[in-house]
Amino acid sequence: MNINAIIMFFLFVSITLVITVWASKRTKTRSDFYAAGKSIGGMQNGLAIAGDFMSAATFLGVTALVYSTGMDAMLFIIGGTLGWAVILLLVAERLRNLGQYTFSDVVAFRLERKPVRTMSAIGSLAVAIPYLLAQMVGAGALIQILFGLPYEVAVVLVGVLMTLYVMFGGMLATTWIQTIKAVLLLVGGTIIGFGVMSMMNFNFSDLLTAAVNEHPKGSAIMAPGVMFTDTITIISIGLAFVFGTAGLPHVLMRFFTVPNARQARRSVAYAIGFIGYFQSLIFIIGMGAIVYVTNNPEFLNTDGNLIGGTNMSAIHLSKVIGGDLFLGFISAVAFATILAVVSGLTLSAAAAVSHDLYANVIRHGNSDRDTELKISRITTLVIGLSTMALAILLEGENVAVLALIALAIAASVNFPVMFLSMYWSKFTTRGALAGGYAGLGTALGLVVLGPTIWVTLFGFEKAIFPYLYPTLFAMLANLVCSFLFSVTDRSDRAQRESESFDAQWIQSEIGPVQEEL
Amino acid sequence: MLSQTDKAILADKNFQKLVSVRRRVSWSFLLFLLGLYLLYGLMSVYSPAVLAQPLFNHGVIPVGIVMGYAILFSTFFLTVIYVWIANSFFEPLEKKITGKEA
Repeated sequence: MNINAIIMFFLFVSITLVITVWASKRTKTRSDFYAAGKSIGGMQNGLAIAGDFMSAATFLGVTALVYSTGMDAMLFIIGGTLGWAVILLLVAERLRNLGQYTFSDVVAFRLERKPVRTMSAIGSLAVAIPYLLAQMVGAGALIQILFGLPYEVAVVLVGVLMTLYVMFGGMLATTWIQTIKAVLLLVGGTIIGFGVMSMMNFNFSDLLTAAVNEHPKGSAIMAPGVMFTDTITIISIGLAFVFGTAGLPHVLMRFFTVPNARQARRSVAYAIGFIGYFQSLIFIIGMGAIVYVTNNPEFLNTDGNLIGGTNMSAIHLSKVIGGDLFLGFISAVAFATILAVVSGLTLSAAAAVSHDLYANVIRHGNSDRDTELKISRITTLVIGLSTMALAILLEGENVAVLALIALAIAASVNFPVMFLSMYWSKFTTRGALAGGYAGLGTALGLVVLGPTIWVTLFGFEKAIFPYLYPTLFAMLANLVCSFLFSVTDRSDRAQRESESFDAQWIQSEIGPVQEEL
Repeated sequence: MLSQTDKAILADKNFQKLVSVRRRVSWSFLLFLLGLYLLYGLMSVYSPAVLAQPLFNHGVIPVGIVMGYAILFSTFFLTVIYVWIANSFFEPLEKKITGKEA
């Protein structure tokens, strides 16, 4: 039990609950609930976006990857930042110009509403739910170690808080919680990074030399190939980061919380600054963990492994840097990170159900406000309860595969469909459906036939699909099907859709033009 | 299909300029960054020794890590440039097209 951590955690939770009460009084319309009334400024939204990306998986997971593989983690560090360049240069402003609350708005702009919305809502849910589950299971295990709480209690605590935030506070509360957490995480990361560098007298070369001396793999960590050695895997990882980030529904949803395209652009620019800075710190933190944690008996089990696994390397390092008080701070920040990210994911899943499926598919786009909001709140509750139950069932399972599925689907379903609908005039409903479902099926199928499920879960000797990451093949499947089924589409509908491209193109470039002439 | 306003915008020289410049800027920045990343990825498979080699004689910082940080800085740098171009060039054009200034 870490008293400091518990006090700081309760402080954070109290503040977030006050924010939720405040936000609930300001959440009356759909625009309030889904998009915080489109009132968030560029800088704050940039922090919130960075917060969505800087999840426990990035902070603890990528640090752990640096800690165990050294240079191989650079693929993740660079990729994680480059995904945002794709969003800045291709997506952000157009998204804001064309959509209302979800990225499905953009896909359905000129394509047939019902089938296309259904498909992109499935794409959103297929990303948000596994990702949410992965975070919950990870959170349960982490909180168990950090706070000494039983796993089930930890999962229920996270589940109840996230449900409260989203149900009552909507996007406004979620954005503020994400903003506060992003600031805390940036401050915490800066202190750890600064601490490591000051112990090394601010000499980066000394840090690397010390890391090579302490690491069991020695100088191999200063070369690629400890973990990733084949081209297909590396390209799939790269594609998943670069294009998967631009297909994450909870990230895309944030571009609708700002008043205009200009603020959307500023949001990503700030986000890139924060994320790039944080990613540069991660490498230093990971190297610092190698130096100060690897051979420190205080952090090792009797069998010589790190207490709590490699994911704890950043947390242990914080104790070296700032003692129990700072360890408590970083533990509380890690918990806050999980809470903020699961809230964003829950909100995007709820919006996919209430805005895309209920309001637009079932009610043909004319649902009344109160019913739609009621449905999104009920959905939030259902998602909260069911992920809690599933997370408790999955205790101790390896959930890395869930995060893998999420990013692969984001890159091979959501991003290509959104991108083609924005940029390719000949893209038709038939092409979008064929491509989207082909990407989804290929991604899921290859994960099942791959090493994680086929070998580890089903116990077969050899995987049918030899690679861990399906992204390259699933993206190709989507693009090929999108292309073939669009160009061969000779229907009247396809003709109409292609003719309405110019109007969409104009709006995506300069925003909605008022017809006041 | 197209409204009168939309037809006028498509024919507007300013709109054509906006679209073509924005397209060139976005895609060249993006291809440059993705190209660097691809180069890094391919080098880590086909010539790991180059990435592992120290940048300077007797130094310890390997080329791969320098390259990684260089890509991070380039992303940041190009972001700043893009925002600058957008604010000082795209926005005035957009205002001219929509007539909000007039």
